[in-house]
Amino acid sequence: MTESLSPIIRLGTQAAGPFAIIVGFYLLFAGHNSPGGGFAAGLVFGAVLALRTIAGLQPAGNGLTLLAVGAVISASVALMPLAWGDVLFDQQVISTELPLLGKIKTGSALLFDFGVTAIVVGTVVAVLEGLGVAEFAVTSNSNTDSSKGDTDCSEAQP
Amino acid sequence: MIATLLLLHVVVCATLAIAGRRWGRLSLLIAAVPPAAATIWAVSRLGSDEPAHAHLAWVDTLDVAMTFHVDDFVEIMTLIVSGIGVGVFVYAYGYFNDKDTSVGRFAATLLAFSTAMLGLVWSDSVWSLFVFWELTSVTSFLLVGHKNTNPEALLSARRALMVTGGGGLALLAGLLLVSQSAGATLLSEIGPAEGTSVTVGAVLVMVAAATKSAQVPFHAWLPGAMVAPTPVSAYLHSATMVKAGVVLVAVMGPAFSAIGAWKALGLIFGITSVIWGAVGALRQRDAKLILAWGTVSQLGLLITLFSVGNPKATLAAVTLLVSHALFKGALFLIVGEVDVRAGTRDIEQLGGLARTMPGTFAAAMLAGLSMAGVPPLLGFVAKETAIEAVLALNGAEMWLVGAGVIGGSVLTVAYTMRLLIGMFGSGPTTPLAAQHGALSAPSRILALAGVVGYFALGPLEELIAPAAERLAAESVGNLYRWPGLTLGLWISVAVVVLGSIAGLVACRLRLSVPAGWAAGVTDTAVDFTLVSGRWLCARLQHGSLPVYLVTMATTLALAAIPFVIHIGSGSDSFDHLIWWHSPLQAVMALAVVASSLALAAVATRLGAGIALGAAGLSVAALFVIHGAADLALTQLLVEAAIVVGFVLAFGHLSRSFPPVGLRWRAVRMAVAGLGGAAVVIGLVAASHEPVAVPPLDEMVTQAAEIGGGNNVVNVILTDIRALDTLGEVFVLAIVALGVLALARTSRQDEKNQAEDTAQPTALQSTTGSPALETAVTESGSQ
Repeated sequence: MTESLSPIIRLGTQAAGPFAIIVGFYLLFAGHNSPGGGFAAGLVFGAVLALRTIAGLQPAGNGLTLLAVGAVISASVALMPLAWGDVLFDQQVISTELPLLGKIKTGSALLFDFGVTAIVVGTVVAVLEGLGVAEFAVTSNSNTDSSKGDTDCSEAQP
Repeated sequence: MIATLLLLHVVVCATLAIAGRRWGRLSLLIAAVPPAAATIWAVSRLGSDEPAHAHLAWVDTLDVAMTFHVDDFVEIMTLIVSGIGVGVFVYAYGYFNDKDTSVGRFAATLLAFSTAMLGLVWSDSVWSLFVFWELTSVTSFLLVGHKNTNPEALLSARRALMVTGGGGLALLAGLLLVSQSAGATLLSEIGPAEGTSVTVGAVLVMVAAATKSAQVPFHAWLPGAMVAPTPVSAYLHSATMVKAGVVLVAVMGPAFSAIGAWKALGLIFGITSVIWGAVGALRQRDAKLILAWGTVSQLGLLITLFSVGNPKATLAAVTLLVSHALFKGALFLIVGEVDVRAGTRDIEQLGGLARTMPGTFAAAMLAGLSMAGVPPLLGFVAKETAIEAVLALNGAEMWLVGAGVIGGSVLTVAYTMRLLIGMFGSGPTTPLAAQHGALSAPSRILALAGVVGYFALGPLEELIAPAAERLAAESVGNLYRWPGLTLGLWISVAVVVLGSIAGLVACRLRLSVPAGWAAGVTDTAVDFTLVSGRWLCARLQHGSLPVYLVTMATTLALAAIPFVIHIGSGSDSFDHLIWWHSPLQAVMALAVVASSLALAAVATRLGAGIALGAAGLSVAALFVIHGAADLALTQLLVEAAIVVGFVLAFGHLSRSFPPVGLRWRAVRMAVAGLGGAAVVIGLVAASHEPVAVPPLDEMVTQAAEIGGGNNVVNVILTDIRALDTLGEVFVLAIVALGVLALARTSRQDEKNQAEDTAQPTALQSTTGSPALETAVTESGSQ
C-alpha cells in the first residue's frame, strides 16, 4: 500500500495536525460554555493520531495507557469528594483572575472531561489498531524495502 | 467489636493468600488466630443479657446495610463456628505434611470460609445474610475442589456449587418477597405475617435451607463433597456450613409460624432426610461416606424439630445442634486420623484398631455413643428431649414426627454400631504409620466435651435454654440428665436395643454400595443447564455479522409490540405528529432516506461507505436545524473518524459485498423494515403523552449556578448526569479492550494458519522474516 506514503497525505497531515490539536484543546476547554467538550476533543485528537500513523509519521500504539489514565482520572473525580465527606461527583468550581486571560472560571468538571478525552482517544487508537493500523504502517515500509530489493535485483539481472 | 473481629479475619486471610505459600504448614496455625479471638470474645460474653450489635451502612439510599446482631442463639453458633474452627486448624496442621505446597492456599480458603460463616450467623440484615450465604457456597466450592487435579473432586465441587448456589438464588428471591411485604430488611424486625407473597417467600427460603443443609432430594452434593481433605469435611460439611440451612429455618421460624406450607415443607424435607440419610449411611463402606449420610439424617432431624416449632422441640433442636457439632466433628477428625495412619477408610478393610489405636478408639466410642444417644453423654439428653417433644404433640403430627424421630434414632444406632465395629472390631489388623500429636488432640477434646456436657448440664442449660427461648419466644422448660422411668426413657431403651440388633445384622449382611442415583440426577441437571446454555449461546453468538443484526432488529421489533397494541386500541394515535417545523427539515429527512436506500442498494463497499457518510451528514444537518450544536459537532467528528476507519478496513476487504441468496435477502429486508417500523412506533408512542414537562428552565439555571457553565448539554454530561457519563466512558474503554483482544486472537489464528498451510507459497507475503528475505534475494540474483 504505497498510497499511504503519498506526499500529499504526509504533508497535509503535518500541516493540518497542529491546527487540529489546537482545535481539540479549544473544544476541550470551551465545552463548558459553548459547543464542544471532552468527547468531541477526544475524537479530534484520535483522528489526528490515526492520520499521523497512516502517514507513517509515528508508530502505532494500542491505546492501553490512554484508557488506563482516562479511567483513573474520571473515576478519581467521581470518588474524590467522598474522601472529604461530600457526595459522589460533587462539583468544585474555581474562579480566579489570571494575568492576560482575565477572569477564569473552571472546575472539577474540566478534569473529568480530561478523563473522558483520554478514554475516547484510547478507544479510537484501540479500534484502529484492531482494524490493522500497525500492519498498515509496518507492511507499507517493508513492502517498499522489498520492492526496492526486487527492483535492484531485476536491474542487476541483465 | 463485631466489625473488628470480621476485619481481623479478612486481614489475616488476605495476608495468608499472599504469603501463605512461603509459610507452609505454619500458615494453618496463623489462620487459627482469628477464630480463637472470636471464641474468646464469645466466651467472655457468656451470661451477659445485652445482645451485641453492629451496623455498617452500605447503600444508605436503598436501605442496604450490613447489620450484625449477636444474641444468645447466635452466641452458641459463634462458639461452634469459631471453637471447632480452632480445633480444625490445629488438626489440619497434623493432617498435611510439609511437602504439600498447597497448604497456604488451603489455610487462606478455609479462613475465608470461617469468615463467611461467622458473617452468616451474625447477620441480621437480609442483604448481609445473602452475601455471606453465597460466600460460604463459593468457599465450599473452592475447598471441595482443593485437589484441583482430581477430576472427581472437580465434578463434586461443581455439583456442590450448583446446588447450594442455586439455593442461594432461591434465598434471595424469598428474602426479597418477605422483606418487601413486611416492610423491614432486618430479620429481627420481620414479624409473623401471612399472605400469598409471604407464603411464596417462605417456601423459597425453605428450599434454600434444604439445598444448603443437604435435604433429600438436594442431598447428593454432600456425600460427593467428601473428596475434600478431612478437615474440610469435619468443619464445613458436618459442624458448620450445612448448619446454615438449619440456622435459617430456626431464625425465620417465628416469622413463618402461621404459614402452613412452611411447616409442611419443613416436615417433608426433614423426615424424608432423617430416614433416607440413615438408610444411605447403612449401605456405605467408606467411613467418611457413612458419616456424610449420617449428617444428612441428623440435619433432617434438626429441620424437623425446628419446623415443629413448639418450645420443647426447639429446645431439643438447639441441644442436638450443640451435641451434633461435637460428636460429628470428633468422628470426622477420627476417620481422617485413621485414614492418614492406615491409608484406607473402607470399613471392610479396617480392623483391630481398638488395640493399636486405644486413645482414638476411646474417643470414637464416646463420640459414637453420643451420636447413638446413650447415657452418660450429651447426645442422650438431646434425644430424650426430642422424644418428649414428640410425645407432647397430638394426632397425626405426633405419629408422623414420631416416626421420623424414633425411626431415625433406631437407624442411627444401627449405622453407628456398624461404623465402630467395622473400624475398631476384630479383623485383620491394619498396619499404621507414625502419629502426629496435632492430629489427635482436637478429636479427643471434642469427644470429651460430650461427657463434660452431660455432667455439667446445669451450666450448659444456662447457655442452651435462653437461646431456645429467644427462638421460641416463650419458656421452653428444662433439660434433664436423667428423666426418670418415663415413657420417653422406655422408648429410648427400645431404640437402643432395636438399633443394636439392626446394626449387628447390617455388619453381617455386607450390603452392597448403592449406585448414586441422586448424584447422577443432579449431574444430569447441571449438564443439561450447561449444554442448553451453550446451545443458546451458539445460536445467539453466531459469529456472522448479518445474523447478529437480524437478531437485534427482530428483538427490537418484538419490543415494539406493546406500543403497537397501545396504538391499535385507540389510546394512542399519530394525530399529535406534525410534518415539520421548517421545510428544510423535510429536505434533510429526504436526504437521509435517499442515502439509506442507496446504502442498501449499492453493490460496492466504497459506495456503501459514501452512502453511509451521506446519511450521517444529513442527520448532522438535522441537528443543526434543531439548534443542537453539540450533537451536530459530535456527529460530524464521528463521521470523520469513521472515514479513517474505512480507509483502513478497505485494505482488508473485497471491493464488493459477497453475493446474497434471494431468500436470505428477503428475510433481511423484512427484518430491516420491521426494525425501522418498531423505532418509529416506539417514538410515536413515547411522544404522545408526555407525563411531565421537561425541567428545562431548572436545568439551565442549575447548569449556571451549580455546574458553573453555560453549555447546558455539557454540564449535564459532566455534572448533573456525570455518573451516566462515567458509566459510558467505562463501557467505551471495555469495548476498546475487547476490540484489541479480538484483533490479537484473530491475527494469531491467521498466523498459525499461515504457518500450518503451504510453507513454500507463503514466501511473498512473509517478507518480514529475514531468512526468507535472503532466500528471495538469493533466488533473484541467480
